[in-house]
Amino acid sequence: MRTYLRNPAFWLILPSLLLPLLIIAYPIFDVFRASTHYVTRLGMIKGFIGLENFIDLFQDPIFIESLIRTIWWTIFVVGGTQLIAIPVALILSEDFWGRGVVRVIIMLPWAMSLAMSAIVWKWTFNGQFGMLNYLLENFGILDKPFVWLALAENAFMIEIFVGIIVSIPFTVTILLGGLSSIPRDIYEAAEVDGATGLQRFTRLTLPLLKPFINIALVLNIIYVFNSFPIIWVMTRGGPNNGTHILITYIYQRAFEFGKIGQGAAGSVVMLIILLTFSIVYLTIMREKKS
Amino acid sequence: MTARTKRSIIFWAVLSPLLITILLPYAVMVTTAVKPREEIFAAEVTWFGSEIRWENFVEMWVENNYGSAIYSSLYVSIGSTLLTLLIAIPASYALSRFQFRGKGVYRQFLLITQMISPIVLIVGLFRVLVTLNLVNNLNGLIISNSAFSLAFAIWMLQSYFSTIPIEVEEASWIDGATRFQSLKKIFLPLAVPSLVVTSVFTFINSWNEFLLSMTLLVTESKYPLPLKISIMAQGMYNLEWHHVMAATFLATIPVAIVFAWLQNHLVRGLSLGAVK
Repeated sequence: MRTYLRNPAFWLILPSLLLPLLIIAYPIFDVFRASTHYVTRLGMIKGFIGLENFIDLFQDPIFIESLIRTIWWTIFVVGGTQLIAIPVALILSEDFWGRGVVRVIIMLPWAMSLAMSAIVWKWTFNGQFGMLNYLLENFGILDKPFVWLALAENAFMIEIFVGIIVSIPFTVTILLGGLSSIPRDIYEAAEVDGATGLQRFTRLTLPLLKPFINIALVLNIIYVFNSFPIIWVMTRGGPNNGTHILITYIYQRAFEFGKIGQGAAGSVVMLIILLTFSIVYLTIMREKKS
Repeated sequence: MTARTKRSIIFWAVLSPLLITILLPYAVMVTTAVKPREEIFAAEVTWFGSEIRWENFVEMWVENNYGSAIYSSLYVSIGSTLLTLLIAIPASYALSRFQFRGKGVYRQFLLITQMISPIVLIVGLFRVLVTLNLVNNLNGLIISNSAFSLAFAIWMLQSYFSTIPIEVEEASWIDGATRFQSLKKIFLPLAVPSLVVTSVFTFINSWNEFLLSMTLLVTESKYPLPLKISIMAQGMYNLEWHHVMAATFLATIPVAIVFAWLQNHLVRGLSLGAVK
């Protein structure tokens, strides 16, 4: 211990340990504690009530629906993002006229706050005055205005669409970084050996890009699973609770209905899902390595 | 037609649906922001209004006390960036220059903090900040934002710090400089590019932060931009969309310009940090 205290490295990293311990680690512990207690509207912990908060949650059909919808939400947004981002990154790593401009445009959604993106999209999709209806009518695709966000099913699909658009920049960034790390000369060598374009892609590019695809996939799953502003701003989980995912449901329970204990229980459920996911991922990675 | 021209045409054609989709909301934002109010809610919608009404911005600014939202956003974003750098620089320096026991565990710890988003902890975090008396306080936001951006900042800085050869520092030690002096005079000036990219990234993240401010702030005059604008865009009736879009425009364009300018650096830093 004393040698540890004499090592300057210890003092250099100390603040970066303390702050996350206070703001991240302690709240994790606290969420678990609050989930088994009765918590007042203002966040005061009162009596221990065991699993009552959890039982209340799992007896609420909206919670179960939100849980299932969260899975769909994550699959579609992450899947869609990945499907678009991989070819886009491949194109952007080639040399072509106007590449710089395209790169900037693709990165644009990243610069806008998710909440504000959601607001602008909500306005674009507005049934009465929105520009999308206007455009589609002008091009003869629609003959009368369509109220996009009136039905939960449609609203949810639109939210998935917005989710994909805003996730593309980050994903493309990671993949581009990966592509730029592949040395050019291996392609020349492959060409000399007579490999076709397709072979070079499936035998060289794809395997070398795979770690980057994986890291983007894992980070996206975590981000999207936790993503709150799009759904909250566009529909607040409505209409008829039909677009809630876990996190919007939990937030509404805790901070609008004042059931903070139930919110904490919901957070515990989410943490357990995230933890399980991380463990499965790490195990797969370890098995692959050995 | 050269191969490059041909390739360019094909690529632009393939990408155009995506590019149009990305640009559409920006186009809607810009045109709505300067349209006269009565034309936004007209029976016949049009792309461009009959005139460009810059007064929308002034009206919006005055009616919504927009200045206070900008102040809050700047205060929180600058504060978060400074605090993050203040903690991340020494930590990254230690990671790239010192050997210490538990280095692996420390890296794992950072990774885990990166995997947890504030939203799953919101109930616990709210309670911690109540205890610290930091609810409805912009400093509470600074502390929380910094905690969540630390891991990323350390990743970025550390991967760059490691590329600075130790010899430059050793030379100045021989000349009699202390470790701290050489850090300040020799090392950090060399690391400026990574400091800039990390700062910009941290700044933008807290500029765009929404959930924590929504949960932790009570007084509307303290609301930063995303929260302010989302409040403006709430409600069913009398929604002043031209004001909402003008507000969004002002909040977004400066950030988008900086972002466009720095995105190349971001690609490098991010992918280095992600895989190492």
